Amino acid sequence: MTSYGGYQRTGYGTQGGDDGGGFMGASQQGSQGGEKKSYADDTLRPVTIKQLVDCKEPYPGADLAVDGLPTTQVTLVGQVRAVNPQAINITYRIDDGTGLIDVKKWIDAEKPDSATPFALDTYVRVFGRLQSFNGKRHVGGHFIRAIEDFNEVNYHMLEATYVHLCLTKGAAAGGDQQQQQQQQQQQQGGGDGMFVDDGYGGGGADSAAIQARLSPCSRTARTVFNFLANSAGDDQHLNQVVAGTGLSVRDIMGATEELLGHGIIYTTADDETWAILDT
Amino acid sequence: MEAIANPRITCAYLNSYVGKNVIVVGKVTQLRGEEALIDADGNITAHLNREAHLLVGNGVQVIGKVNPDLSIKVLTSMDLGTGVDYNLANSVVEISHQHRSLFAYE
Repeated sequence: MTSYGGYQRTGYGTQGGDDGGGFMGASQQGSQGGEKKSYADDTLRPVTIKQLVDCKEPYPGADLAVDGLPTTQVTLVGQVRAVNPQAINITYRIDDGTGLIDVKKWIDAEKPDSATPFALDTYVRVFGRLQSFNGKRHVGGHFIRAIEDFNEVNYHMLEATYVHLCLTKGAAAGGDQQQQQQQQQQQQGGGDGMFVDDGYGGGGADSAAIQARLSPCSRTARTVFNFLANSAGDDQHLNQVVAGTGLSVRDIMGATEELLGHGIIYTTADDETWAILDT
Repeated sequence: MEAIANPRITCAYLNSYVGKNVIVVGKVTQLRGEEALIDADGNITAHLNREAHLLVGNGVQVIGKVNPDLSIKVLTSMDLGTGVDYNLANSVVEISHQHRSLFAYE
């Protein structure tokens, strides 16, 4: 990083990109650290039991984190290995082939069905909240149902893997984007990227809305977009883009053509000066 | 907690799991008394236990131990009926070996 950090700064002529990218990464993690509990952020995550067994608390009392993301609501699929009915709840030991975890289902007095335990070896789908008590993990089951179509078991395994990969390596909108995000992660993790254009990290292009707009664009177009997003000032002239991205004039003209076509940027002072079109 | 895992495998992976407990999802192609032939991307011989109720042509999930001769000593088996997507099951096996952090303890 240090070897070309200075180069990037001169390239921008401003305090832009590198620091900006780093800040975005840091702020993101800060908000994920669970400073304030926001249940609105709870998303239901498909997981394998091994992920729950392996997951760690960032610090004591924090939300448990799977792949570094706090995880509260989970859905899992497994076979019932043991049933332990008690007065107010039923504890199931669930096995999905990757591990074992206890699921506690509270008995709802108004619903007599909920007091009837599932038979041993039944495949069930569990929706619940991941909880940690005295260092022991369990899932507070909101809802448990038997699985009728066995393919759902395999489907769940694939879904859990897909979500894991999305969260660790970026969404699968395009191979290109995935690779780019992966490189950004290495960059933020302190790895030495080969190319200067990787340096324009997620900074400007981080939000999902922008990613969606950029999804049909080429890699060069994204690089130019990220440069525009990360640079100070409203618009950038072709010469500044050349200096900042290290791309050829021809590539940049092609890329801006593409971005103009998608309505992501617009020309300002002349045909060779562009700014990002905010929506 | 417990690190008890039964990896999902197909015929091709039998070699790597001798002496270990595994999960195999496949189609029952033959029943010979205490033995069954299960097609899981290749034929696997399974030595059944008393409780096994298998039907030829149906899908089955067996959990069992891989013998040195690459047959499986079945501990539990479960009839899955006819609607099993074997390609899907085989994909899951492949995926679970590619992304071991989600599925397997080293």
